[in-house]
Amino acid sequence: MIPSPASSSSGSRKKRMKRGPKARPGTKWRTAAQERVYGRRLLEALRATAALGPRAVKEAADSALAFTARGRSRWSRAILLSPRRKARLLLRTGSKIRRGRRRARAAEAGGRLRGRLRVLRRLVPGCRKLSAGSLLEEAADYVAALEMQVKAMRALADALSAAPAAAAAAEPGSRGGV
Amino acid sequence: MGPARSSGVGSGNSGAYATEIAESLRFEEEIHSIVHPGLDSPPAAGGSFTALLGLPANQAVELLHETGPSEAPGSAAAPSPTGELWRLRLGEHAAGPLHLPLGCSPTFPSNVALVERAARFSVFAAEDSPALSSGGGPSPRLKAEPPDSDSPPTLLIPAEKTQRLAKRKECEKSKAKGPAKKSKSAEENTAAAAKETAAENTDGEKLPYVHVRARRGQATDSHSLAERARREKINARMKLLQELVPGCSKITGTALVLDEIINHVQSLQRQVEFLSMRLAAVNPRIDFGGLDSFLSAECGPLATANGRGGVALDPALWSSHPVTANGARWLPQPQIRHVDVWPTQQSSTAWTRDGAAHPHALLNPGAALFGYDPASSVSLNSNQLKTEL
Repeated sequence: MIPSPASSSSGSRKKRMKRGPKARPGTKWRTAAQERVYGRRLLEALRATAALGPRAVKEAADSALAFTARGRSRWSRAILLSPRRKARLLLRTGSKIRRGRRRARAAEAGGRLRGRLRVLRRLVPGCRKLSAGSLLEEAADYVAALEMQVKAMRALADALSAAPAAAAAAEPGSRGGV
Repeated sequence: MGPARSSGVGSGNSGAYATEIAESLRFEEEIHSIVHPGLDSPPAAGGSFTALLGLPANQAVELLHETGPSEAPGSAAAPSPTGELWRLRLGEHAAGPLHLPLGCSPTFPSNVALVERAARFSVFAAEDSPALSSGGGPSPRLKAEPPDSDSPPTLLIPAEKTQRLAKRKECEKSKAKGPAKKSKSAEENTAAAAKETAAENTDGEKLPYVHVRARRGQATDSHSLAERARREKINARMKLLQELVPGCSKITGTALVLDEIINHVQSLQRQVEFLSMRLAAVNPRIDFGGLDSFLSAECGPLATANGRGGVALDPALWSSHPVTANGARWLPQPQIRHVDVWPTQQSSTAWTRDGAAHPHALLNPGAALFGYDPASSVSLNSNQLKTEL
């Protein structure tokens, strides 16, 4: 990596007064408060989409995540503003993951940086035409948000799957954590 | 000669300038005697002067002659007073090379017209254009020179020409070499930075210009500067991503790091899909009373406060086993509605308070879903919910 007085100077001198103090995505998404906010929204969304299928659940989860981002990042806006198109795409391309893997390998052969950047563009929603710099920024935010989403969903799934079991135990007042 | 005279006569202000004209006559006689030998070879001295003035040789000589023979104030009326002064200065310039040593710049009265003419003079123009094209540095120097150079006499001109050429050659050489010195790179930087201010509205950062300093031994044309700035920005973002994705800090090389990032994103998305399948599977099974248990963790004791009294829920119990599904079951259906209403109104405040007070979010993975400790929030919200009810 190039060490840099220049990069720090260029980064600091770029006037970011419009954005205000910019929190790094690693710290922004990892707070417990954020996770709770998201969890609540996720729960509401789940109740709304009661048993419409896993894809609806995923979409609801993603929308909840994008909403929690408050529209400050490009990917969140892309998710919120065009869920229907994404839904159709999801329905069509059920095996989206496999295709992504193949493309990753092909892109490796294609060109080192360019191919991978292309793959990344496809992965992060709403970043098809971004420059490399903004793409990386969005990707950082997206990765942090995804991590939080996975954590929250896992906890919720565990709790929900455990709750009926505990309830079935029929012991008032005592309920062990799963 | 004729038209000049007639125009001169036409101006009726000759009387006002009588004193000046008298002076000019006296001087002109002296100068004329000096100039005449010089005029014998017009191309030598007169040629340079006429070129200086941008006039053809004949007219300049005529003008010089005009000042000589004319003695009557009326007839000596110049086309304009400035014309008189101008001819006077012509004489001075003629006297210059003969009397003044080289390198001395006498303080001549600065005549605007003369300065302009000198600036337009072809020799100077020829010197100016290549100098201007060679860059910003020399041009201010050169621009300063023509106003100075109109006054020094003709013999100085060739000397100055060589001087200016030498300076220009220096600059061109150094620029042709590319940038060895930091001082040069500093100049280039300012030029390049200026260009960048105009041209570069950097990517999405929304704000105009970037100050970039070229480092020693690196190319300093604007293209490479801009590319370097872009590359450094990209590298900074890559560093951020490296910290975010686990296991990337050891990897060197942008391509491999990108690979890792892509794999990480794909694995996360896969996990989300699997978890969503799990949730979808779990959803229909659960009775939403169980769900309410999480939500009603805050309003369980509210049930007691409302007079249910059935469940004596200990705050200690709450902290260790945050939610009792059975306790939730005892809540009647209407409670659910309140549960629905309540979070939307107060979720943000409650959660932030909880977040501040109890950061053990994930220690109890079960129903302490998001680590809230209902004991603290219960007291806060009980009154509020009472008002709702």
